[in-house]
Amino acid sequence: MTRLLRIACIALWLAALAMPMACSHQPYLSEDEMQGRALFEDHCAPCHQGAHPDLRKQPPKLEGLFQSKSLPSGAPATDAQVRKTIIQGRGTMPAFDQRLSGEDVNDLVKYLHTLK
Amino acid sequence: MIGSQLKVVLAMVIVLMSGLAIVGCKNENKNLQRQALEKHENKRYNLRGQVVAKDAAASEITVQHDEIPGFMAAMTMPYKVKDQATVQEVEPGDKIAADVVVVNDGSDYWLEDVRITEESGRKSKSPALPVHRLNVGEHVPNLPLVNQDGRTIHLDDFKGKALLVTFIYTRCPLPNFCPRLSSQFAKIHDDLAKTPDDYRKTHLLTITFDPKYDTAPVLRKYGLAYLDDDPSGFGYWDFAFTTPGDLRKLADAFGLMYFEHDNQISHTMNIVLIAPDGAVANYWSQEWTTAELEGTLRRQAGSAAAAAPARASRRRTP
Repeated sequence: MTRLLRIACIALWLAALAMPMACSHQPYLSEDEMQGRALFEDHCAPCHQGAHPDLRKQPPKLEGLFQSKSLPSGAPATDAQVRKTIIQGRGTMPAFDQRLSGEDVNDLVKYLHTLK
Repeated sequence: MIGSQLKVVLAMVIVLMSGLAIVGCKNENKNLQRQALEKHENKRYNLRGQVVAKDAAASEITVQHDEIPGFMAAMTMPYKVKDQATVQEVEPGDKIAADVVVVNDGSDYWLEDVRITEESGRKSKSPALPVHRLNVGEHVPNLPLVNQDGRTIHLDDFKGKALLVTFIYTRCPLPNFCPRLSSQFAKIHDDLAKTPDDYRKTHLLTITFDPKYDTAPVLRKYGLAYLDDDPSGFGYWDFAFTTPGDLRKLADAFGLMYFEHDNQISHTMNIVLIAPDGAVANYWSQEWTTAELEGTLRRQAGSAAAAAPARASRRRTP
């Protein structure tokens, strides 16, 4: 009986351990990344999410931005390049120059790293 | 004996924890399902602001509103209201709270559940609208502007052509505002370029709300992005800035409202068609399609075709 109980306990304990892993669709975000997410929702998502048939060029989706070696523009996918694109704009993407602080841009870049 | 009791208690705790984990997971799955469902539903945002104008016939009110987190910066813009009774009830000057309903793909939005939170002194006097817009047929003021090449141009320079004018600022981040206007103008440029006769008789002009930031080089870079990097397009489409004073005069003439805050510019939208004789021929400020703009521009150029050769031949006469 004790043996059976022990096996049952171990099985359930393993199940309990495995469950959060199976459920964790949303990665844990740090405070900076949370800030970055709020900025993303306000400033990036309006163009980079959803469909915009009226726009001349479709803004690229930003999921997995840092997973590939290059950005949609072909430039290397580095923090410095992404920061430059945010501040100066690129093509039809508007510049966020003087609109976002350096800290804002840092938080945004950190959040963009979490987008898989 | 005590040891086996402890084991039983321990087992119960573990079973309970597992149960909780499963319940938590289910809840998370439910949340995910709900999020997935919401992706296909309309989104609602809280709006607070002041009514600055209303157009009962079009069921629209123009609201100067605070920031709508997750949807829009603070600005003044027109909104459709589904409930006609509400449009009748509100008056310019009223402070309101309402829900902005946005369809999932952002293609349409309107106000619902409009509540007047503070009535204007509507009996004493209705608040003055900020501007008087030129009527169709009135001539536009011949104000100077500086284009993307740093060259001074005047609105009268385009007389003899049908001129389509709109206002933007290059740092506008809202896809349904300036980027949409410029994309539509770019499409008109491309389409008209395929018919040289119409291309010759028409012109596009984009004027910035942000002369402090949008200098000639900034406008040039912006314009090139919409002209596929072909600067020859600037011969057909000018991007211009002017002094803050003249910008205000132009915006007033075309019935536009704008103000700057936190390095952003809140503004209404307007597209103005100016006939070859320099008079306002048409306005679009609420709804339009690129095809509609293009068709009207071509017709306006066509209607001038009869007069234009006559003027040209007069000029050629010694």
